Amino acid sequence: MLSDLLIRLRSLFRRDSVEAEMSDELRFHVERQAEKYAASGLPHEEAARRARLEFGGLERVKEECRDARGVSLIESLLQDVRYALRMLRKNPGFTVVSVLTLALGIGANTAMFSIVYAALVRPLPYAQPERLTMVWQKDELGRPGITSFATYTDWKSRNRSFEELAVFRSWQPVLSGRGDSQKLVGLRVSNNFFRTLGVRPEFGRDLRPEEDRPSTSQVVLLSHGLWEREFGSDPAIAGKTITLNATSYVVAGVLPADFESLLRTNPAGGPPEIFGALGYDASLPWACRTCQHLQAIGRVRSGVSFAQAEAEMDAISAGLWREHPTEYSASGVIFTPLREHLLGPLSRMLYVLLGAVSFVLLIACANLANLLLARASHREREMAVRATLGAGRLRMVRQLIVENWLLALAGAVAGLLPAWWTPRVLAAIGAGSLPRLADVRLDWHVLLFAFLAALLTGLVSGIVPAVRLSRLALHDSLRDRVEGASGAAHRRLRGLFVVSEIALSLTLLVGAGLLLRSLSRLLEVAPGFDPRNVLTLMISTTGPQYAENVPLRHFYSDVLQRAAALPGVEAAGITSEMPLGGNMDQYSFHAEGKMNANPNLDPSAERYCVSPGYRRAMGIPLLRGRDLASSDVNGAPLALLINEATAREIWPREDPLGKRVKLAGTDKPWWTVVGIVRDVHHHSLDAAPNMQFYVPHEQWPYPDSDMILAVRTTGAAAAMIPAIRQVVRSVDAKQPVSRIMTLEEYIGASVGSRRLVLILLNIFAGIAVSLAVVGIYGVASYSVAQRTREIGIRIALGAQRREILGMLLGQGLALALAGVAFGIVASFELTRFLGSLLFGVTPTDPATFAVVSLLLAAVALAAFYLPARRAMRVDPLEALRYE
Amino acid sequence: MAQEHIDLPQGTLDLLILKTLALEPQHGWAISERVQQISQDVLRVQQGSLYPALHRLERRGWIKARWGTSDNNRRAKYYELTASGRKQLEAEESAWRKLAAAVAQVLETA
Repeated sequence: MLSDLLIRLRSLFRRDSVEAEMSDELRFHVERQAEKYAASGLPHEEAARRARLEFGGLERVKEECRDARGVSLIESLLQDVRYALRMLRKNPGFTVVSVLTLALGIGANTAMFSIVYAALVRPLPYAQPERLTMVWQKDELGRPGITSFATYTDWKSRNRSFEELAVFRSWQPVLSGRGDSQKLVGLRVSNNFFRTLGVRPEFGRDLRPEEDRPSTSQVVLLSHGLWEREFGSDPAIAGKTITLNATSYVVAGVLPADFESLLRTNPAGGPPEIFGALGYDASLPWACRTCQHLQAIGRVRSGVSFAQAEAEMDAISAGLWREHPTEYSASGVIFTPLREHLLGPLSRMLYVLLGAVSFVLLIACANLANLLLARASHREREMAVRATLGAGRLRMVRQLIVENWLLALAGAVAGLLPAWWTPRVLAAIGAGSLPRLADVRLDWHVLLFAFLAALLTGLVSGIVPAVRLSRLALHDSLRDRVEGASGAAHRRLRGLFVVSEIALSLTLLVGAGLLLRSLSRLLEVAPGFDPRNVLTLMISTTGPQYAENVPLRHFYSDVLQRAAALPGVEAAGITSEMPLGGNMDQYSFHAEGKMNANPNLDPSAERYCVSPGYRRAMGIPLLRGRDLASSDVNGAPLALLINEATAREIWPREDPLGKRVKLAGTDKPWWTVVGIVRDVHHHSLDAAPNMQFYVPHEQWPYPDSDMILAVRTTGAAAAMIPAIRQVVRSVDAKQPVSRIMTLEEYIGASVGSRRLVLILLNIFAGIAVSLAVVGIYGVASYSVAQRTREIGIRIALGAQRREILGMLLGQGLALALAGVAFGIVASFELTRFLGSLLFGVTPTDPATFAVVSLLLAAVALAAFYLPARRAMRVDPLEALRYE
Repeated sequence: MAQEHIDLPQGTLDLLILKTLALEPQHGWAISERVQQISQDVLRVQQGSLYPALHRLERRGWIKARWGTSDNNRRAKYYELTASGRKQLEAEESAWRKLAAAVAQVLETA
């Protein structure tokens, strides 16, 4: 079989020499034969003639030899390609329109694929990620909750299902000692965290178990990016000491460049870049069973299913509940496979977009098929000639498909442009904060996709026209026809394409319309504060001088005083966390006379630790009672504000003012409710506000070291940035400032993923409608041109021009209505996949359906009207002379 | 030219080519001459059909080709039998003999 392959390859690549050899061989035969006849006495010319005659058709023999050598398939394909290129060059208009159509269709799909590939298809950057799962502690409502160190220790020692079980929590250390202090995003992780993920340091070493203790935990691993950026890729960094939060830490190692921490405790803060040893033991006050602030991730042993592991963990959890009845509010665990945890919400969104973009490709295919059908009537003669000369049907179909493939490949090449731009567009609309979308790029997977998409597109759009054309060519001989016999059949087919284009576009437009309405509804939601002209920035305090409460409070009150005194500042306040900031900071809320026997069953509320000016700076309305005041200081009676949701939940038929509450434990002091404020959307605009309370940071026993300064300005908020920075620097130049954002940017970021879907879907719908309009216009023009003669006769026989217009428009209207009808039916089925992406509108929102249908019908009619008007002006004499 | 010719039965051309080449390497024209000679002009090879058969056999690896110099001192393409071609010839020869014997038997007794 080797000889077979060699001969085929030689035939293909050394075509010229093979051909020459074949000619030589055959010529030798004929000449030798002629010599024989000449030797037997025939005249020279007669001998040559006889030899040639006996030999048979030289070209036919050559063709049979080529067949015998097995090159014909590839060779004839090359012939097809050359022929196709000639045909496409001869029709530049057709070629350009087709390539552009396909470039839009394939380009949009390739761009979308590059996003989907980066986000979903690409494997997670961990070893055997399918065995990784998040492990949550079930809360009293059956929801997944975070866990505590004591619980984790028992889980770890009692289970047999996990190869490794690790915990982590958020950590935002301040790096100092080299230029400006800088706040980093990081995690504190148990020492087996990276072993659980299956990630080894690029160099240096992993965290060691003996370092995971309270006294020895000053050890960190750096991400590759942080090491490059902040430490100049120092190859000897391992073992060196760096300063974090004014404490010395030893760098154990650097993580590999392809490691990306997808596990984030703060979705808005970007990926963690520094990983410190957790350093807990059971003696620490925050290691208690109810101190829930750790997230757990486990690697299930190979051969153990998630269901088996979950069953075992449920049993362990039930045992713990029996042993410590007052320290758990529920029994059981919840597993979220890592893939689902990281990519679940994103994947739904991307699949919707992938479905939408495939519609764009279908429309492009229908358009091209239409163009091909229109062109087919001009090519019937050409095909008939080829058929008469002996081209087989299959060969003719193949020839036409090859033409289409060339078009589609050209379209794919042009369509790589959008894919090339995709990363920049994503960055521009701020999708980089969504997991993995920062890694969208044009790589060989994307190129392969574009190539396959082109092959498929060429085949799908070309097969029907090609088969029809070849059939006609075989049935009809070289007769000249005034109108193709194919006329009626072609017209029906083209009508079908128009109807499907309208239907597909309508579906996309309905989806885009619903999302647009959702976003505008969402942005209409009152967030509970006034986002205009508010600048926020995070201030972190580090250093031994701030270890005590008094200097720390002093630092913040200094900053506040100086900020409030700036010209152009209306109000200034600080807070421990921001609404829509992606943080959660919940404390148990034990109201006097409303406590459960098991205090763990008491509700939790969001804690804002604030200065008195915060409420005014944010513009949160005070509904009843009084605001926090500068007199609410350490030593004065403890005062707090609650929101409406808390008032409704805890004191539904009572006046909450003056009621007393213990926070974060029943052994804590009493706080008194002094005022009620409006609900604030803390998690997202589309979720109902949760219970919230505000305490003065002067009275909270452990002042936060990170606070967010909010400043309400009279002018544009961003203009105040330099002045505010200067204020912080003037109080203490060593304390870093980070996350400088306006309040409006917080709102924008909270709807970021929705906006991404909306923008992409609108782009797709826009392309779809433009393609459909071009397609409809093309079909309408063509059918009018085909009927010029008929129209001329009608006018000559006395038909009114208005009637002609009506006749043509009537057909257009019928097609448009059919398309709209099918589109509405399809949309009814498809819009429910938008599901949670919708807000404030139903998937079958009548207004959206009505507006979109009318719009599309009007656009389709306009595309029919223009050519019809041209037909109306037909001069009957001209028309009759036509052809 | 009154002599009677028999057109080759399907599939026998390959066998004749292989058999001819078993004696010595030959070029195409010589093969057709030889077949005619040996069969005393009864079998006549359609000259044009000889070459596709040669190329097919070459592709199967039963014969191989090289350019040489012919008896009248011209460049000609010579074919020779390969080892696997020799095996193929034996197989086809015995198959043919069996077939011929069987057909002869049927003709004699029936």
